[in-house]
Amino acid sequence: MSYAVELINISKYFGDVRAVDNVSLKVRKNEFFSLLGPSGCGKTTTLRIIAGLEEPDKGIVKLDGKDVTYVPTHKRNIGMVFQTLALFPHMNVYENIAFGLRMRRVPESEIRRRVREMLEIVRLTGLEHRRIHQLSGGQRQRVALARALIVQPAVLLLDEPLGALDLKIRQRMMVELKRVQREVGTTFIYVTHDQTEAMVMSDRIAVMKDGVIQQVGAPYEIYMRPRNRFVANFIGEAINMLEGTYIEPGVVETSIGNVRVEGGAEYVGRRVAVAIRPEKILIGEEVSGDVDNVFSGRILMTIFRGAFVEYRVDVAGFEFIVFKPHVGGLARIYQAGDVVKVGWIKEGGILLVD
Amino acid sequence: MKLFDKILKAYTYTVLALIYLPIVILIIFSFNESRSKVVFTGFTLENYYSLIGNYRVWDSFYNSIWTGAVVTVVSVVLAILMAYGVSRYEFSGKTLIDSIMLIPIIIPEIVEALTLLVFLVIIGIELSPYTVIIGHVAFDISFAYVVVKARMAGYDPQFEEAARTLGADEIRAFTKVTLPILAPGIAAAALIAFLESYDDFIKTFFTRPPGFMTLPVYIWNMASRRGFPLDLNALATFVVAISLIFAYIRNRIERRVY
Repeated sequence: MSYAVELINISKYFGDVRAVDNVSLKVRKNEFFSLLGPSGCGKTTTLRIIAGLEEPDKGIVKLDGKDVTYVPTHKRNIGMVFQTLALFPHMNVYENIAFGLRMRRVPESEIRRRVREMLEIVRLTGLEHRRIHQLSGGQRQRVALARALIVQPAVLLLDEPLGALDLKIRQRMMVELKRVQREVGTTFIYVTHDQTEAMVMSDRIAVMKDGVIQQVGAPYEIYMRPRNRFVANFIGEAINMLEGTYIEPGVVETSIGNVRVEGGAEYVGRRVAVAIRPEKILIGEEVSGDVDNVFSGRILMTIFRGAFVEYRVDVAGFEFIVFKPHVGGLARIYQAGDVVKVGWIKEGGILLVD
Repeated sequence: MKLFDKILKAYTYTVLALIYLPIVILIIFSFNESRSKVVFTGFTLENYYSLIGNYRVWDSFYNSIWTGAVVTVVSVVLAILMAYGVSRYEFSGKTLIDSIMLIPIIIPEIVEALTLLVFLVIIGIELSPYTVIIGHVAFDISFAYVVVKARMAGYDPQFEEAARTLGADEIRAFTKVTLPILAPGIAAAALIAFLESYDDFIKTFFTRPPGFMTLPVYIWNMASRRGFPLDLNALATFVVAISLIFAYIRNRIERRVY
C-alpha cells in the first residue's frame, strides 16, 4: 500500500534557521493527520513543502507513492485551506468554488453539477451568489473548504484555518471538518498549535518542536504515553512532573520520597522524571490500601472550574495539580488548609527519560 | 479656542476661494454675451457654438485624447510590471529603483522637458507625436507606479498561492486572480496617468512637431495670439469639465476596496 503523503528526510533552512530538520512522515490514505506544535516549530513550512509552495533543501516528497519533490504546485493535485482563507474577493461563492475546475477546463455543465454537490456537503446551498464579504466567518471557512475539495485532491492541507474564529464557532467547525472528511474520504493534513483541535479531529498527530518531529501517534497515545518531557508538557492542560533518579527496578527517588513506577528497569542509575496527569491523582477518601504511591499533603488552593475542581496540593514542597469532578454537594469540596492524602497507582505515572 | 477655530475656517475658505474662484468666474464668463471680461451683460451659448464649429479645436482635442490613451496604456503596463517586481521579489538595487521612480514627480517639469528636447536633438530623433508620447510616459509612469505599488502593498500573496494550489500556473494565477484584485488600483492609476497627459502643456510644447497641437497647446496659442477671445472661456470650461469627470471617476474607483 502506498501512502497518501510520504516525507523522507526533509530539511529546509531559512538563512541560518533550520525551519524543518530531517523530517520523515508517512500519512495514510483517508487519514485525518495533524501537525501540532508551538508557533515557529516548522509545521507550516512542512505543510507548504507538501504543497510545493516551498522547496525543501534536502529530502523527498511523495504523493500517492510518486516523487513530486520538483513538481510545481499546480500539477500536484493537492488542495489547501489557508490561514487567511485567501478567498477571491472579486468572485462570488459559486465562482470561488468553481475556480479549480475551470483551471482544469472541466465542461460547464459538470462544473454546475459538482459545485451544487459541494455546496450540499459543506451546507451552503442557496448562498452561491453571495459575495465573500457578505459571509460570516464560519461560512467563509466552508467556502474555502469547498473550493479546495472540489478538485478531489489526493490530500487536503489545512493551515490553522480555524484560528480566526471565536470559540463556539470553532467547536462547531471542528465537528463539521471531521464530518466532511469522513463524507468525502480524503486525506486531511491539519496544521495547528491548538491541541484541542488536534485531539478532537485527528486519527493521528505528529507533535513538532524546533523543526523536529517529537512523536507521532493517536491522540490517546501522545496523551497517555508521551515520549519526552516536551510532549508531556505540551499535550494536556497540565501535568505533574517529578524529577528524580531511578534507583532500583520499579522505584524512582524524588524530592517528595520514593515513587513506584511501572517498568523501565533498564534505566537504573539514570535521571528520569515521573509525570502524572492531574485527573489520575486520587485524593482524600479515594486513596485506599492498594494505591501504589500515597503521600500526605495540604490543600493550598481550590479553584472551581465548572465541570471539575482544581486543587493545588503541597506535598513536601512540591505543588501537585489535581482535577476532580464533584459528585456531591459543595460540602464535599476540600478547602485551602485541609490536610489530605494524595496518591496514584503506578500505571498512572509516565516515565520520561530524555 | 472658538476664535482659533473660526480663523482656521476662514483661512480654509480663503484658500479654496483663491484656487477655485478664478475657475468659477471663467465658467460664468464663458456664457457672457458681450466681449467684456468684467461685466456680465447677458446669457448666451454663442461661444460654445463657435467652439463646436471650429475644426482646430476638434483636431487638438482628438490629439489630446489619442496621445493620452497611448500614454496611459504604455505607462500603466510598465508601472504594473515594475510595481509587481519591486513588491514581490527581493533583489539588489530594489530601493534604488524605487527611489528613481519618484524622481520625475520631484524635479521641475520644465527641466525635464528641456533635457528631453536636448537629448532628442543630440541622438537625432525628429520631433513627432511619438516624441510627445515618450515625454509624457517618462513622467506619467511615476504617477502610475506610485498608485499601483500602494495597491500592491496591501495585496496578500496567499491569493496567488491559493490559485496555484487550485491548478493555476503562475501566468493564470496572475491574470485570473492578481490582476482582477488589483483592478481598482490599476484603473485609478490609468485615470491619473490620462489626466496628467491630458493636462500637460510644458512637455508637449517642448517635444511636439510644428503644427501638432493638443488642447492645452491650442489654448495657449489662442490666448497669446488673438488676445483673449471669448470662446477661449468656453474651451477652458470644456477642458475643466472633462478633468472633473475623470477625477470623479477616479475617486469612485479608489473607494472600492476589497
